[in-house]
Amino acid sequence: MNRVPICVILLSLWTAAALAQSTNHNEIVIKNAIVMTVTHGTISNGSVYVKDGKIAAVGKDVSVPSGATVVDAGGKYLTPGLIDSHSHIALDDDVNEATSPITPQMMMIDAFDYQDKAIYRVLAGGVTTSLLLHGSANMIGGQAVVIKHKYGMNRDAMLFPGAPQSIKFASGENPKRVYGSRDQLPSTRMGNFEVQREALVSAQDYMREWDDYNAKVKRGDKDVTPPKRDLKLDALADVLRGKLLVQIHCYRADELLTEMAMAKEFGYKLRAFHHALEAYKVADQLAANGIGIATFSDWWGYKQEAWDAIPWNAVMCMRKGVRVAIKSDSDDFARRLNQEAGKTMRYGGATEDEALRMITLNAAWIIGVDDRVGSIDVGKDADLVIWDGYPLSSSAVPNKVFIEGDVYFDRSLPGFGMPHYREGE
Amino acid sequence: MKNVIGRWFSIVGLLCLAFVSTAAQQKPIVLRGGKLLTVSHGVIEHGVLVMENGKITAVGAEGSTAIPKNARVVDLKGMTVYPGLIDSETNLGLTEISAEDMTNDLVELSEEIMPHMHVYDAFHAESELIPVTRLNGITNAIVAPESKDTLPGQDSFVQLSGKSANEMLMIRDIAMPLNFTGDQRRNQSREKRKYPSTRMGMAAQLRQAFLDAQDYQQHWADYEKKKNEAAAKTDDKDKKLPTQPKRDLKLEALLPYLAGQKPIILAAEEPSDLESAVNLAREFNLKFVLNHVSHSQPVLDYIAQLKVPVIVGPIYETPKPYERFDAVYSLPGELNKRGVKIAFASFDAHNARNLPYQAGFATAFGLPYDDALKAITLNAAEIWGVADKLGSLDVGKTANVVVATGDPLDVKTDVKQVFIGGQEIPMTSRQTRLRDQYSGQ
Repeated sequence: MNRVPICVILLSLWTAAALAQSTNHNEIVIKNAIVMTVTHGTISNGSVYVKDGKIAAVGKDVSVPSGATVVDAGGKYLTPGLIDSHSHIALDDDVNEATSPITPQMMMIDAFDYQDKAIYRVLAGGVTTSLLLHGSANMIGGQAVVIKHKYGMNRDAMLFPGAPQSIKFASGENPKRVYGSRDQLPSTRMGNFEVQREALVSAQDYMREWDDYNAKVKRGDKDVTPPKRDLKLDALADVLRGKLLVQIHCYRADELLTEMAMAKEFGYKLRAFHHALEAYKVADQLAANGIGIATFSDWWGYKQEAWDAIPWNAVMCMRKGVRVAIKSDSDDFARRLNQEAGKTMRYGGATEDEALRMITLNAAWIIGVDDRVGSIDVGKDADLVIWDGYPLSSSAVPNKVFIEGDVYFDRSLPGFGMPHYREGE
Repeated sequence: MKNVIGRWFSIVGLLCLAFVSTAAQQKPIVLRGGKLLTVSHGVIEHGVLVMENGKITAVGAEGSTAIPKNARVVDLKGMTVYPGLIDSETNLGLTEISAEDMTNDLVELSEEIMPHMHVYDAFHAESELIPVTRLNGITNAIVAPESKDTLPGQDSFVQLSGKSANEMLMIRDIAMPLNFTGDQRRNQSREKRKYPSTRMGMAAQLRQAFLDAQDYQQHWADYEKKKNEAAAKTDDKDKKLPTQPKRDLKLEALLPYLAGQKPIILAAEEPSDLESAVNLAREFNLKFVLNHVSHSQPVLDYIAQLKVPVIVGPIYETPKPYERFDAVYSLPGELNKRGVKIAFASFDAHNARNLPYQAGFATAFGLPYDDALKAITLNAAEIWGVADKLGSLDVGKTANVVVATGDPLDVKTDVKQVFIGGQEIPMTSRQTRLRDQYSGQ
């Protein structure tokens, strides 16, 4: 590292901070990079032009407008910011409202601890967007929050604007264990699915009441009183109306099929199965229904329903046409999603693009933000990572992480390596 | 009677020999043309490695290394060949499915001082986890009880192949963990709180255990002395034998460690715990190897001057909120720079196969590549006293050899063949069988 006078560092920190605190009016060109676009191959000696937080140009010949800051990547790899489609960081101990198996009215944003250092540690691993989900204690858990890892900024600046609302469902051992251990329903898989079905039926009743009411109002009936609003049923009605992306924690093949059948029975769509360690057994059906999976690369054996997990799951499903993401579900794995994706190149032979897609564009699709992030394409958010080393390897580490064109992590900086954050401020 | 026993022993001996000879490799195997990472003497780009009777009998460059006439020659152009990897702490053979209690024999929680627990009594040779692990080139491992007790029992050093537990358990009771991380306190809840619920309690209890063992040793020494004195007496009247002390398995188990014959594996994470644990070990003149030291960045020089090896990590341990993101990642590099002999461990069972990636990751944080590879091979062999047999590609060592598509420390590398004791290990596991079963779908 070149020695730079401290005043220059401080000045640039101040400038970067000032820019970021305003409205993303940045203009930078990252040049001399091996650009892994995800959607249109890898460009050696490529450049990316960023304007106002968005990618404005990508290619070998990108002109540098006067006034743009030039960042020389020094021949290093540049990827989109990584995306974690299953995370529980920054929620303190509030991941599970494990007091009832049906809690769709829980909003994870109400527990979002935007100062949690985990957001920083994961950022330092190259992740720029995460889906923070409710836990898996309940058959129908709470509604997720999508964040950008702008550590050091205020809470609202860290929320992904306009991201669709996801809701977490779960099945199998966790709900069974949590309620079964208290001698409550559900303690079996029959109980699990009955509880879920019952909830959806009551949501149908609730919707009918409202439909009747609205129809009467429309007819001009002035004496009619509105039904009582119920937050829980409101949320379930949103599931049935297709307003929420349904993300289901589910391991066993038979349960994947049951969840699909139930969705068909009640007429809602599933976005993705999470963990889905036995998805390789029913990959055709998942592909036919357009359901993605967010899975581990090789984690297994931690419980009975993870006993048939195999590290070829991701690639076997992908080859059958399933959209596959590798996710963390862990404060630890979230810091090295790139290594986890690299494993798919070994287990089943994913190509470089396919492997990278599992932690960028496919993860973005699962969250419903693939039109905004997940690849290096013109018009997308300038969430970018310059890597020391080849990203899909054991020995890669982010050198700089940009979110919407601003540097949020720079490994070469002292302290925590964050331009926008210093301890005690 | 004596004769019968003698004959019986010789039959057993013959049976053992017959067993070993069928198990051992028959024909010499030659691995030719691969890139040999010898660990002990550099890289041979186009090398030849000969395995005979379970041992490595030649290592050298292609063209200048003799190939035995009757050998089976395997062409390995483009492949990388390296010694079997050694995981310096696992729970292999003690667990099958983490959440299913009946498949776990990880640690005895009824008491904290349990040196008389021997993992070899529980080691499950047929565990499905073992083929999964060795398929990634890990051929040897320390099996340790879980770290929830201060003295949870004694480790064994195993080879991850063999027809039975007896064949796999190479060294029983090789070392004893002493855990001092705070997790051994019995203070999980107010209702369940019991002694020792603080670090003071942990230390006092440990100290008492070692004192009791010293006392026990003294009783036996006194007894032996009196017995010998009595035997030496000429007058039958004076030959009154002293009463033999009662055997105590727990205290007996501590004696080899008090005598410095075997190492204590001293686990601590934070500087204060580390210093307390080291002081305690010194108080009783224990020989020790350090374990974890995950959050001890502020006392690296102190660690270095202890001049003992460190089982480092796991480097994926989450840093404390006040630590930089790479405070734990960079630990192996920082210790290595100060001349500390390090070895990596998975501290796991299901994920033990990922051991080499920890070493690979540490290279991104200042650990030179060669030292990273050493930390999962030769350094580990030296720490566990088996460097005459394992840890490098050298003539005379056990033929634990791995053939892979490239860099052993990288996640993309596929392991193609593992040899243990010169034997070709079937490259199958429960997981490959499931893959194959559902691949035709």
